[in-house]
Amino acid sequence: MEDTNSTIYALKTSAGQERNVARLLARKARTIDGIGISSILVPESLKGYILVESSTKIDLRNPDLKVQHLRGVVEGSVGITFDEVKRFLKPEPIISSIQKGSIVELISGPFKGERAKVVRIDESREEVVLELIEAAVPIPVTVKADQIRIIQKEAD
Amino acid sequence: MKACTVCKMISSKDHCPSCGNPTSDNWSGLLIITDPEESRVAKELNIEIPGEYCLRVR
Repeated sequence: MEDTNSTIYALKTSAGQERNVARLLARKARTIDGIGISSILVPESLKGYILVESSTKIDLRNPDLKVQHLRGVVEGSVGITFDEVKRFLKPEPIISSIQKGSIVELISGPFKGERAKVVRIDESREEVVLELIEAAVPIPVTVKADQIRIIQKEAD
Repeated sequence: MKACTVCKMISSKDHCPSCGNPTSDNWSGLLIITDPEESRVAKELNIEIPGEYCLRVR
């Protein structure tokens, strides 16, 4: 896979504007010759940064790269290696980090903000069955794995 | 916007314009490929058509 000589740069953006900056840069890469950007990556887990693969050095003093909400290039003695980028390309499913008995918080839906204990995990459907901790009667609630945040891994 | 459940291409349609498979609203992460020939990321993910892709879709 060493057939291209592109380098990966991390660019700092305003928080929440990662996708907009990526789309604006992509449009410039398509319309202006010589920018050399071949791909732009916006990982969900990386707030305020985007990763840009380019065959030319990214220099924000270049007027062609003037994009709103783009704050700067992350400089470092060692560049970002492709192996570091690979882990963003194949994100591990959230469900694999959840264990039975974990204490979680619901982050969306009608029970938002409530704490619950994981009773069952359905990996194929990416669903978990929870029991609300503060409810008087333990009623099982089934939610999607991306609607919860882990507070405490399984108690010993 | 919706993402194809098979090739992960992002579009506004109910069926992927590239491969025809159904699309889903539930996706995350964004990858824009402008030059699949030059991009190592595109080669890693076997992407040959320039466009917007998601990283995870359900």
